Amino acid sequence: MIEISNLTKNYGDRKAIDSLNFTVKKGEVVGFLGPNGAGKTTTMKIITGFMAPTSGQVKVAGFDVFENPYEVKRRIGYLPETPPLYGDMVVTDFLEFVAKLKGVEDSRVNQLVARAVEKTQLGDVRHRLIQNLSKGYRQRVGLAQAIVSDPEILILDEPTVGLDPRQVAEIRTLLQELRGSHTIILSTHILPEVQATCERVIIINRGRIVAEDTLSGLSNRLRGGSYVQLRVRRNSSELAQALKAVGGVTSVEINGNNLKVHGTGTEELIEAVSELAVAKRAGLVELSHPEAGLEDIFIELTTQH
Amino acid sequence: MRAILLIARKDFKLIVTSPLFCFVAALCTVVWSLMYLSFLRQFAAQGLMANMQGGGAAAQSLMNSVFVQHISVVNLVLIFTLPAITMRLIAEEKKMRSYDLLLTSPISSTDIAVGKFLAGLGAATALLLISFIYPAGTSLIAKFHWPTLIILYFGIFLITALYAAAGLFASSLTDSAMLAVFMAVVFNLMIWFVGQSGAGSDVKWWATLSEYISVGNHLSNFLKGTLRVSSIVFFTSAVGFFVFLCQRVIESARWR
Repeated sequence: MIEISNLTKNYGDRKAIDSLNFTVKKGEVVGFLGPNGAGKTTTMKIITGFMAPTSGQVKVAGFDVFENPYEVKRRIGYLPETPPLYGDMVVTDFLEFVAKLKGVEDSRVNQLVARAVEKTQLGDVRHRLIQNLSKGYRQRVGLAQAIVSDPEILILDEPTVGLDPRQVAEIRTLLQELRGSHTIILSTHILPEVQATCERVIIINRGRIVAEDTLSGLSNRLRGGSYVQLRVRRNSSELAQALKAVGGVTSVEINGNNLKVHGTGTEELIEAVSELAVAKRAGLVELSHPEAGLEDIFIELTTQH
Repeated sequence: MRAILLIARKDFKLIVTSPLFCFVAALCTVVWSLMYLSFLRQFAAQGLMANMQGGGAAAQSLMNSVFVQHISVVNLVLIFTLPAITMRLIAEEKKMRSYDLLLTSPISSTDIAVGKFLAGLGAATALLLISFIYPAGTSLIAKFHWPTLIILYFGIFLITALYAAAGLFASSLTDSAMLAVFMAVVFNLMIWFVGQSGAGSDVKWWATLSEYISVGNHLSNFLKGTLRVSSIVFFTSAVGFFVFLCQRVIESARWR
């Protein structure tokens, strides 16, 4: 559905994105992650046709963004970081305007506006001026304008920013509803959100893709796949030395009485570590085997490179 | 065409329902009312004087002594107030980030520029219609040659279109509404002064060119009640030039 090849964008001497290559299949929900200034928004703006790349190509549904911009733009609903709203307009008038602007036929406008209002739960405020709405509601109006033309592709840049936890949960539910019928690229800093909604993750750092995989795939890739965390009461240094000699252990981090043992073969690793801790009479208080979360992966990949 | 009308309708509605437009319209009404009354009084006094000297105040004099003067005041007021109306057209879109919506919609930058221009022109025409009430009201108490008045207003309409286009271009250059107002006033003044700069110049081609691009010269034709194709072509080209510049600025946003 979206094919990006060798995409590069320079701002003067600075490379915002550097030879990006990735594809997004139809109906997929892809999380687009990266620290501030990594090039996420620039990439999204290029896909939407807002700006041109310095070099490279973007194809959406087989159409080149710059050769057939209208075909591409008709298929994309975009929610930028700051929702594009007209404060002086009433919610439904605004959504009607956006639907017509996106090329929706007049006969379908009312139906699609009603659907967008319902999906984003804007019914209570649909006749109010946008400038009088709270930040959360404005964000929802922003989301409604992205889906009002029923686009095949949704590109959402931080869609839950400024929302309260209940609203965040509602947006997550909405994204899950839209899954399958829409192809979604979701950029966010809220990592649990990606875990809850995305099938695949693209992590970008300093304009380059540093990881592109499913969540479980990324988790396995990180440091050989697993680690065991333990807390002891004494002899932590001795235990660390002994652990390094155990087969399958790749490294041991020590922080006071807390040890982090990285290695391969999850169950064997846990057994070996626990046996050794008991044998060394280190006073084992706690032993856990946390899955490498997205936060760990994110920090690891964006600091390594 | 659908996109042009959509943008024009939306922006026109937002402009004329804004408190700023009401304030500008009120300000214009106050200034025009005071000045128009003063022109009428002067005309009445001149008529009385002419009667006492044995002549009559001809209908043509009403045109010259009142309507032309009124048009001059309307023009002067619009030079300074129209930028306050046109400043929002693009600068505010940039500031509020709704510009992103326009640039990611399946419409061309020409649609955006022309739609915005028509909205600005519509709002400016609303102000012109207010100013038209005065001479139209005068028809209740005096007789005059309506076609001449219509030509007079057609002339000021073309100049207003030029101010709207210049204001639109100024608005496209910045995201600060105040800066857009300032630039638009400078553009409006330049439109008047650039044509005067070649008057009496020793450089022949510059004198000829400045005579052709002098807004004052073109307007004077309309004030005389004559409709010249060259003047209509001049104003239409000048409006097209500013709208084209605005379109280029919008388009350039994609390539920065």
